[in-house]
Amino acid sequence: MHCGSGTEEQVADTKGEIFANGFWHNNAIFAQLLGMCPLLGVTTSAENGFWMGAATLVALLGSNLVVSLVRDFIPSSVRIPAYITIIAAFVSMIGMAMNAWMHEMYLILGLFIPLIVVNCAILGRAEAFASKNTPVNSLVDALAMGSGFTFALVLLGGVREILGQGTCFGFNILGDSYPDVLMFILPPGAFIALGFILAGVNIINRRMAAKKEQQALQTTQIPITLETQS
Amino acid sequence: MKFSKEQWRMVTALLLVAVLSTTFLGITNILTRAPIAEAERQALMDALMQVLPKHNNDPIQDTRQISLPKHKQATTFYISRNQNQSINAIAWETIAPDGYNGSIRILMAVRPNGSLNAVRITYHQETPGLGDGIMNLSWLDAFVGKSLSNAHWAVKKDGGDFDQFTGATITPRAVVKAIKKGLEMFAKQRAYLFEDKKEVAKELKDALR
Repeated sequence: MHCGSGTEEQVADTKGEIFANGFWHNNAIFAQLLGMCPLLGVTTSAENGFWMGAATLVALLGSNLVVSLVRDFIPSSVRIPAYITIIAAFVSMIGMAMNAWMHEMYLILGLFIPLIVVNCAILGRAEAFASKNTPVNSLVDALAMGSGFTFALVLLGGVREILGQGTCFGFNILGDSYPDVLMFILPPGAFIALGFILAGVNIINRRMAAKKEQQALQTTQIPITLETQS
Repeated sequence: MKFSKEQWRMVTALLLVAVLSTTFLGITNILTRAPIAEAERQALMDALMQVLPKHNNDPIQDTRQISLPKHKQATTFYISRNQNQSINAIAWETIAPDGYNGSIRILMAVRPNGSLNAVRITYHQETPGLGDGIMNLSWLDAFVGKSLSNAHWAVKKDGGDFDQFTGATITPRAVVKAIKKGLEMFAKQRAYLFEDKKEVAKELKDALR
């Protein structure tokens, strides 16, 4: 596991920056390519992706909060087994709760729920963020990371569902005459769709970087024009 | 051997984390046990409702257990009765072990005359878009009314009555085979399944007299 070692942590001071980092700049899927197993396994539809993301979000909130609360108490030499125990406890509780109150979805997601324990994105956040930050900031980070992860899962699930079955969240979008493209429901379709999504994310990131550069240039020009006027 | 202060800290930290995690897991288990049992009962009830004809009893309570050969666990048979309390169908879950990807669980309901009332798939891991065509009601409806004597129990490719799917023959073949086996088993166990407990008691009394 290469947990938390994917990209360098950007320094974030305000809660807004923590959120932006977690949701986009350090997005578990788009930037770090972590948690691929549930991503490729359950995203055959937008709804499956959403509930898998929601379960991961709750696990992240719990583990980040608890890890942050006990961060001064756990000796660093045994922190990983301690974190994994905490994460495993939360995931098991979520599994039981889903089995009890969302039985049908539990049967669909089945095997992938216990696998959240070894989702690198969660241990990665415990190690890289919650063990060094206050409980409130850790919760913000978990919320951002979890919703970013959910966003990625819903996006991929939606794309695969639309292309594979012509529906999105179960609603018929492309009409009954749409020939289902089976490949997008099968595992290879997940890799292909993910590749195109990552390409799109890279385009957006590049445009955003270019815009920032332009703005930086403009702000340096403004004082000069003001000076000539006065 | 003596532990250093640092080692004691490691041990207590891990112990506390483990004890606390286990406690919370235990509490969650207690809280969810009843709802999980209820959800499973509801799921079974929904599936039974789809395969059984109109009934006047609670088939989940009205059951018979039979230990079939080569089965690790006893099979539960759910009995459906009409207003006169006579049996109008019996449902049970059979397993097709040779699906394309693991076993397929099939809930089948059979009428007293040995014909199928309805069939539903309760669990499978077949390929989406190919093998999972067995979930289609239009395909499952082909089994309604079929019995060992009035159908050729094979897919059309093998000279039988039941459709296979384009690109997926293994899955429907496994389901057809499992349902046929289920009907054969039903024919063998018929006598036991239909015997009325009251009548058995009476027979015993007569024998003892």
